[in-house]
Amino acid sequence: MIEKLDKIKNSSLDIIAKINSIEELQDLRKDLMGKKSELSEVLKSLGSLEAEKRKKIGIKATEMKNLLIEKLDEREGYLIDQKSVLEEPLDVTRPGDKVNSGSLHPITQMCYDLNDAFLSLGFEVYSEDDISSEQFAFDNLNFAKDHPARQSMDTFWLDGTEEKSGCERLCLRPHLTGGSVRYLLEHGAPARFVYPGRVYRNETTDARHERAFFQYEALIVDKNISFSSGMVMIQTILEKVFGRKINVRMREGFFPFTEPGYEIDMECLVCGGKGCKVCNHNGWIEVMPGGVIHPNVLKSANLDPEEWTGFYINIGLDRLVMMRYGVDDVRLFHSADLRFLKEFK
Amino acid sequence: MKVSLKWLKKYIDLPEKITPKDIAYDLTLRTVEVESVENIGDKFHNIIVGSILEVKKHPNADLLKVCIVDIGEKKPVQIVCGGINLYEGEKVVVCTPGAEVYWHGEGELVKIKETKMRGEDSYGMICGASEVFLDKFFPPKDEKEIVDLKGIDCYPGQSIAEALCLDDIVLEIDNKSLTNRPDLWGHYGIARELSAIYDVPLKELPKLEIDSKLPKYQVSIEDKEKCRRYVAVEIDNVYEKPSPLWMQAMLVNVGLRPINAIVDITNYVMMAVGQPTHAFDRTHVEGEKIVVRNASKGEKLLLLDDNYIELDTDDLVICDTKEPMALAGIKGGKKDSILPETTGIVLEVANFSAGTIRKTDKKFDEKTDSAIRYEKNIDTERVSDGLSLSLELFKELFPESKVLAYNDVYPSKTERIEIEVSQDFLDTRLGKVLDSKTVIGVLTKLGYEVQFKNNIYHVVVPIWRSTGDVSIKDDVMGDVARLLSFESFEAKPLPVSFEHAVGQPKILLERRIREYLAYRCGFNEIFTYPWIDEKYIKASKIDASSAVRLATPPAPELAVLRFSLVPGMLESISKNLRYYEDFKLFEMTQVYEKGEYHESIKEEVLPVHKKLITGCVVNKDAKKCFYEAKGVIENMARVCHMEELSFVNKEKPAWADINGYLNIELNGELIGNLGLISIRVMDEAKIKRTNAVIFEINFDKFIPFASRTNEYKPLPLFPLVEKDLSLIVDDNVLWEDIVKVIKGKVRELEFIEEYRGNQIPEGKKSVTLRFKLGYNDRTMNTEEINNEMQAIINSLSKKCNAIIRDK
Repeated sequence: MIEKLDKIKNSSLDIIAKINSIEELQDLRKDLMGKKSELSEVLKSLGSLEAEKRKKIGIKATEMKNLLIEKLDEREGYLIDQKSVLEEPLDVTRPGDKVNSGSLHPITQMCYDLNDAFLSLGFEVYSEDDISSEQFAFDNLNFAKDHPARQSMDTFWLDGTEEKSGCERLCLRPHLTGGSVRYLLEHGAPARFVYPGRVYRNETTDARHERAFFQYEALIVDKNISFSSGMVMIQTILEKVFGRKINVRMREGFFPFTEPGYEIDMECLVCGGKGCKVCNHNGWIEVMPGGVIHPNVLKSANLDPEEWTGFYINIGLDRLVMMRYGVDDVRLFHSADLRFLKEFK
Repeated sequence: MKVSLKWLKKYIDLPEKITPKDIAYDLTLRTVEVESVENIGDKFHNIIVGSILEVKKHPNADLLKVCIVDIGEKKPVQIVCGGINLYEGEKVVVCTPGAEVYWHGEGELVKIKETKMRGEDSYGMICGASEVFLDKFFPPKDEKEIVDLKGIDCYPGQSIAEALCLDDIVLEIDNKSLTNRPDLWGHYGIARELSAIYDVPLKELPKLEIDSKLPKYQVSIEDKEKCRRYVAVEIDNVYEKPSPLWMQAMLVNVGLRPINAIVDITNYVMMAVGQPTHAFDRTHVEGEKIVVRNASKGEKLLLLDDNYIELDTDDLVICDTKEPMALAGIKGGKKDSILPETTGIVLEVANFSAGTIRKTDKKFDEKTDSAIRYEKNIDTERVSDGLSLSLELFKELFPESKVLAYNDVYPSKTERIEIEVSQDFLDTRLGKVLDSKTVIGVLTKLGYEVQFKNNIYHVVVPIWRSTGDVSIKDDVMGDVARLLSFESFEAKPLPVSFEHAVGQPKILLERRIREYLAYRCGFNEIFTYPWIDEKYIKASKIDASSAVRLATPPAPELAVLRFSLVPGMLESISKNLRYYEDFKLFEMTQVYEKGEYHESIKEEVLPVHKKLITGCVVNKDAKKCFYEAKGVIENMARVCHMEELSFVNKEKPAWADINGYLNIELNGELIGNLGLISIRVMDEAKIKRTNAVIFEINFDKFIPFASRTNEYKPLPLFPLVEKDLSLIVDDNVLWEDIVKVIKGKVRELEFIEEYRGNQIPEGKKSVTLRFKLGYNDRTMNTEEINNEMQAIINSLSKKCNAIIRDK
């Protein structure tokens, strides 16, 4: 009897392993487990056996039954897993569907990154209008009366105003700094704000020079602050923008609206400060001028220079974006060329 | 400006451990930006002096010679050469293998190798001036002429750099970083800064007194504002000859061309102390009198190249009794030049005001080395430095020379500025307390005279910085800060205030709109220039009469500043169609038009500014473009949190299609437009084989929500039934008509599709809508659903003449 059971077991396991469809498996389940199955026959015949033997064979038969059920379920599970929702083959190497492929201009992206960084330091965002006057673009900022930047070779004066002066001589703003006095006239001091924007210079264009380009300026005005605080701010901002600590150095610079003025260089990211073509082999790249706000500028903003002081930094956005991505021609920013813009999705 | 290290060392002894790189770094941090450091000697690597022992015919070439040359090695070498001035005993420049030269003076540098020329061995090359960077020294008269070192003290094998005093290191300084420092436009000024930086003594310049008994040379200054001092020295027995090698080398190393001893002295003095000087041939000065005056209108000055320039009344000129000889402080004319027949000169050492020089040099585009220096506003005492050095050099180079007459007309002297700076002021602004010894030490090294009393520094500014550079206490503070190095001041964190959290809803709204258009709607953001091409203004059909114009535009057709972003958008569409046929662009920026607007103060009247958002959807399918763009505007308010926009059909924008436009309103005010671009506009803007919709809205009018305003609606308690309905209606029935009929009867009404075609009769269209039905208090049963549907269908057929289309 035991031998018979073993025989049934072996042949059943063989058959189960070879079944390849769920339908056949259902039939087989009937054949192996049904009332007319060999196993049932064996179990039925148990009654005629003596108690000791019946118990032994009974246990064996039950074990065998459980094993077959397990194997059948396992096979069924396997066969179900072989089924697919797909009616035809699926080429998984084909590209997936496109998502909406719009983009913000890389300059806008950098500007927003900087806004986020400055907002976290409690700065407001301010924007001056594009068209300004000689009064705000030069006079208020302590530019000498005969400063070359005031000439039409450098600044875009508006037609019909170019021969006038002060408030009546209008231009596309040549820098953002004029906006600092506007903000201070409106809001007074203390103040901390950024004012990003586009500025315009009448010059010949090439891969590194543009007539319209972007700056990002920040100004703090407060009592009893020293210019060295500017360095903390710059380090914080660059770290935020580039996602890691960037070495900076502060050196002598001259601007009419600052005293003292300084240039801030960052370590060249291309060579890590060792010196390469990008940084003219000196390891440093000039990224932002800055300085202590000149007393005459504070006076233009109706603030007492004995009481108030502060400092600027001015970031060349185009240059920073060019560093971030390795863009080699500044003119691409105003090209409206989709081939270029789509790279910044 | 180029600065020679050898030259600097005439004035200071630098500590030995200081390398040229250190100097460049320290100057950059504290004074001026050094752009590069060049070792001039490096490029003369393997270029040496050779002495020709023998010149033989080349067996295989008529134009070549075979030379046996002593190059200081044990054995002479053989070099093949095509030079036309070869002779035995000649000292020449030899490039031995490994040297780099310009082959025939052109193209890229080529490395010299040992070679055979037409079968004869040649160990390197005997060179012409332009091949080995020596054209400033030895201007070649013929292409095939080689450098003849006759008269130069040198020996075979000596490096050329050493033989010609070219073993120097030159710092290239960014001129822009020197604009406010008239004192740094000569080596002595830079040396003075270095003496302060490294705390080493600065040597005195020569101080020569002129014999006061000499006859007076006649000088008359007519404009004493423009010419504050004029020294004229008449010197006899000077003539055209080369200057000594050391002087030529100095000039060459700082980028100048040696001319003759007289001119070289004037250039040398300028590079040494920053004071321009000028030499007139004394026999050419008619009436033996110098007159400094403004030109009369139409007066002419003959230049060296035989061209005339026409002068005006604001041009300052140096004249004799008859006519102008030179543009003061800028350039000499033909009349005053030093010629082979010159036997004596009138030397000018003068001071001219920055303003007049700048005006005239700009007008004639003559930014000469002299003009650049005067433009920075030089102090009047510098004339004495320039004069003393000139006289010393004339004596050295022309021992036989003799001063015949002299005059020093000095209408106004530069006054030294005096400033008071308190210790308190320095402490707060520097963020670091410095003791008075440090402050006095730093300032004294820079030439200030300082007295410290009652916590106040009484400062007398050095004269060379009293012409505008240093005028207030902040300037003095700046000098202290930079000389101690900005980096030596500890960076102090900024004070924090908890009172004013930044909240700027309109600024946030602008960002949300940009991000909505780019990231949700798939637009690419573009930037265009504010000056717009007339061609596209014309194409856009927008009235440009109120546009603002530039006085000096980048190009004649770009004079108009934008009053709308549509012309720029047309140009961008047209350009991008070369590479794409299906795209969306937007731009958000300011436009301008004539008007009166005060941004800050009432005295300042600016044109009116508006910030616009302009976008386009480009696709062949006009309807698809239209509805896509409409959807973008419809959903903007909700997504970006601002007051709702609405559409009306009132006024066709100039550029829009006659049947495909909408006006955009906010609270009943027209603030923008949306429309298909008309066929004519597309044609003129070269937008071909496609369609496009443009929208343009005035962002300034948008009203942002200060916070989220939408409220949560409870979810339905009982299930809703979704129903689709396809209607056939007359072509002129609008969606708006259908909405009016069933509004209030259904929930979540949606437009699904509009269709014209095969199964739809002419003049009709099929419209499919989807909506939901349901009650708030119980589940709808089938009968109720059918009744509701029937009621809806009845109203639609009654009011819109609609027929239900069988599926």
